[in-house]
Amino acid sequence: MQTEDRINIDIFKIVTRAIAESNNLEIMAKHLAQLIIGALEIKGATIFATDPETKELEVLGSFGLSIRYMNKGPLYISRSIKSVEKRKAVVVRDVKNSDLLQYSADAIQEGIGAIVSVPIAFSERVIGVLRLYHHEEWDISEQDLDSLFVLAEIIGLAMMYTRMNNAINEVKNIIGDVHEAWLE
Amino acid sequence: MDAQRILLPYNFSQTDQKALAFIIRTFGSLENTEVTLFHAFTPISEIEASDHQSATAKLKRRLSYLTQELTEREMALQEVCQYLVGKGFGRDRVRYVFKSRKGEKATAIIDQTKEESYDVIVLSHKPGKVTRFFTGSVFTKVVTALKDVTVCIVS
Repeated sequence: MQTEDRINIDIFKIVTRAIAESNNLEIMAKHLAQLIIGALEIKGATIFATDPETKELEVLGSFGLSIRYMNKGPLYISRSIKSVEKRKAVVVRDVKNSDLLQYSADAIQEGIGAIVSVPIAFSERVIGVLRLYHHEEWDISEQDLDSLFVLAEIIGLAMMYTRMNNAINEVKNIIGDVHEAWLE
Repeated sequence: MDAQRILLPYNFSQTDQKALAFIIRTFGSLENTEVTLFHAFTPISEIEASDHQSATAKLKRRLSYLTQELTEREMALQEVCQYLVGKGFGRDRVRYVFKSRKGEKATAIIDQTKEESYDVIVLSHKPGKVTRFFTGSVFTKVVTALKDVTVCIVS
């Protein structure tokens, strides 16, 4: 059980720099997961994107979890950890004694003791989830939780920036494919 | 006749397992084929630490432990190779490439194909993925960038 603050300004600088310096969202998500695992000394971390139609959570980047656990089945935001949908963090401090999880048996088998889930919001909508997995029961400090909320907001901005960038590049490619003869 | 060289980008997903099953079904009975499983992983994040006592230095030391996951992934890829051998592919017809990438997944596949001249690429594709909005489509990038290669899509 840990209640001390682990994310200080030095760690925060490293993590935010990893976000700012990456031009590839998938790699950024993976590096972010690694850095959070290292900073908080936890088992794993995953960044999900939310499908606005199906409400399914899709993995954008993850680290520390087994292949078997990653392939356990589809995750639905309404069924996995419910309150995240309402833009609130959910702390499952003891997985063995919680009814909030969609795949609790798989989590126990994976050796997960606690899960913290923080919504990634943009323009007042939940577009993803930052989820952290600890080996044991976990009381995350309020300050670390605040830091994770700020990180989640930055991730949200990075996600939307990348989406816009991709859209612009696609338009550019389509225009590049138009032969001059068609414009005459 | 030269062997038909097949590249299977493999990320351990359920759709990748479908692509693997497709290869076994379609090419397993053919003598003259070689299968390469390809996994391009993201390397561990690099950070600078100016002294040995700071939180940054501690974080750097902790990150070095995370390389264990990459070792486990490589072992899992070897197991998939063994699985193919168990399904009738000769040992000399199955190999794997496990390399780090700093760019997009699609670029790694394109570079690997150009480097080793494959005849067939088997790509798995899950329709309607929302992450494609953020990362772009691997399938589209690979198909539009390569020529003189057959691309099979397993969905």
